[in-house]
Amino acid sequence: MLELTDITKSFRTGPAETIVLNDLTLHVGEREFCSIMGGSGSGKSTLMNIIGLLDRPTRGQYRIAGEDVLAAPPDKQSALRNRLIGFVFQSFFLLPRLNAWRNAALPLMYRGTPEAEARRQACAMLERVGLADRMEHMPAMLSGGQKQRVAIARALVGQPKVLLADEPTGALDPKVAQEIMDLFLEVNRELGVLVLIITHDPHIAAQCPRQLRLGGGRIAQDLRMAA
Amino acid sequence: MIKQAILEAVGNLLASRQRSLLALIGIMVGAGAVIAMLTVGAIAREETARQFRAMGTDILLIRADSDQGLGNLPLAETEALPAQIRGLSLIAPFMLGGGQVSAEGQSRSTSFLGVTESFAPVARVRLAQGRFISRHDRFEPFAVVGSALAEQLSTPFNRIRVGSNIRVGRYVFTVIGVLEPSLPSPMMPADVNDALMVSIPNGRRIMSTPQLAWGVARAAPDADPDQVARAIGTALEPSMREGRVQVQSARALLAGLASQMRLFTLLLGAVGAIALVLGGVGVMNIMLVSVQERRREIGVRLAIGATRWNIQSLFLTEAAVLSLAGGAFGVLLGLAGAWGFAQMSGWAFVVSATAIPLGAGVSIATGLFFGFYPAVMASRLDPIVALRTE
Repeated sequence: MLELTDITKSFRTGPAETIVLNDLTLHVGEREFCSIMGGSGSGKSTLMNIIGLLDRPTRGQYRIAGEDVLAAPPDKQSALRNRLIGFVFQSFFLLPRLNAWRNAALPLMYRGTPEAEARRQACAMLERVGLADRMEHMPAMLSGGQKQRVAIARALVGQPKVLLADEPTGALDPKVAQEIMDLFLEVNRELGVLVLIITHDPHIAAQCPRQLRLGGGRIAQDLRMAA
Repeated sequence: MIKQAILEAVGNLLASRQRSLLALIGIMVGAGAVIAMLTVGAIAREETARQFRAMGTDILLIRADSDQGLGNLPLAETEALPAQIRGLSLIAPFMLGGGQVSAEGQSRSTSFLGVTESFAPVARVRLAQGRFISRHDRFEPFAVVGSALAEQLSTPFNRIRVGSNIRVGRYVFTVIGVLEPSLPSPMMPADVNDALMVSIPNGRRIMSTPQLAWGVARAAPDADPDQVARAIGTALEPSMREGRVQVQSARALLAGLASQMRLFTLLLGAVGAIALVLGGVGVMNIMLVSVQERRREIGVRLAIGATRWNIQSLFLTEAAVLSLAGGAFGVLLGLAGAWGFAQMSGWAFVVSATAIPLGAGVSIATGLFFGFYPAVMASRLDPIVALRTE
């Protein structure tokens, strides 16, 4: 599903060139559930941005479902992001002036789905993540765990192939974090969406069937748990 | 989608009410200035046209000049002109001066006109009561009073009417006629509504510089007023002891006024344009702050699959909504201002048909123009940097 080959990403800061990713190669298959761990500055976020088509590698090849996505022009990449990828962030990033279902429906609006249909799908997805009674709530009226559920509904509403989560439980207390983790495992199982989670929490990582660790700009460790 | 975008823009603008209000006021003042200027221009044009219609375009104004200032027209030769010049139907030489008049303890400063019998038909003044000065009223102390002057000299118990006495210096005049109100004529050097009219011999008595320097004339309906004007000048020149004669036709004045009016409108338009530019800069400022504040939102939208164009139109819609609202209020403000001007000047209030669509269009265009740069800035944000903003 995701094929990253010889990905190098370097930043030029003044005269020095910092290499963050160094000839990284990673293949992730359909329906897989991976965690990515690594120390600060190990390039986790950079890798996530490249996978999420928010950033371009300096060198290397990247295909999603066989399609060379690096060759696409910026607006085509927006469309690919919209269609293939769902994002979940550590601090939720809901739009404060839109209620829960409008937040969840946003990717569909950018796809040009008529409002009534977008609302129907967003509400169905909110129900799916356990927020049937919070459709009209504004983000400020929701708890952290509820906000993250709205964000997950927003990431999933467009039926993406890949769900990218950057520290999705980092801002939540352990009990809620476990609930959110259970939700990830559930949508991976039931919707068949590929899930990549960046996390610092070994407890969260331990529940993932495949565990990656970044180091030295490459995949330093690739563990697969027996199912 | 469009409805949604507009609702969202309104919501965002309402969320930062104070800032939106400031930008709104900027655009409102700009659009208001443009509308007020255009409408006042239209009102002034309309008023001038009305005055010329009342006065007729066949009127001619004659003025004698000398090296020391005003000159003297030869009375007899001037009055004989209609018989000599084809196309000249009437002529009325007159003297112009001014000073204090009093009646019943009321004192006013006013214009004095020393006139002949023909002044009334040439200047198209009508009598509300009594009669006008005739050729027989030479040294008789008779006067005709303009309507505004009569009103000012009247007291509730003693209205100025035929038979009233008006004192001018050491002379006491008996009122023999009161004029009906008439539109002030842009051709005349004095407003007959606010004037005391006496015979020419009496005029020489009461004026400090008793010169018969002025004249009004009417061209025949089938004659060319400019040709008649030239003929009068040529005919009078030999009989002038000194100085020159200038004859101006209403048509020439009208042309002069028209070009003056164009300049006036241009100037007012420039003032409005400057105000709008200031309003536009206000919009730009506020949009830039808004873009800065909403970087993370922009990042989220880009990550979710918004295109650059989606982000641009998000901010452009806000700028358009803001300037449209500002423009609408500005139209109201401008019309109110122009109406106030019309009330104060006593002119008829007219709304120029182009003013409203022009004002609204110009303010939206300003908003979009100045909103464009912040919108492009927003759409060029790097999603990674935007998402990292806290």
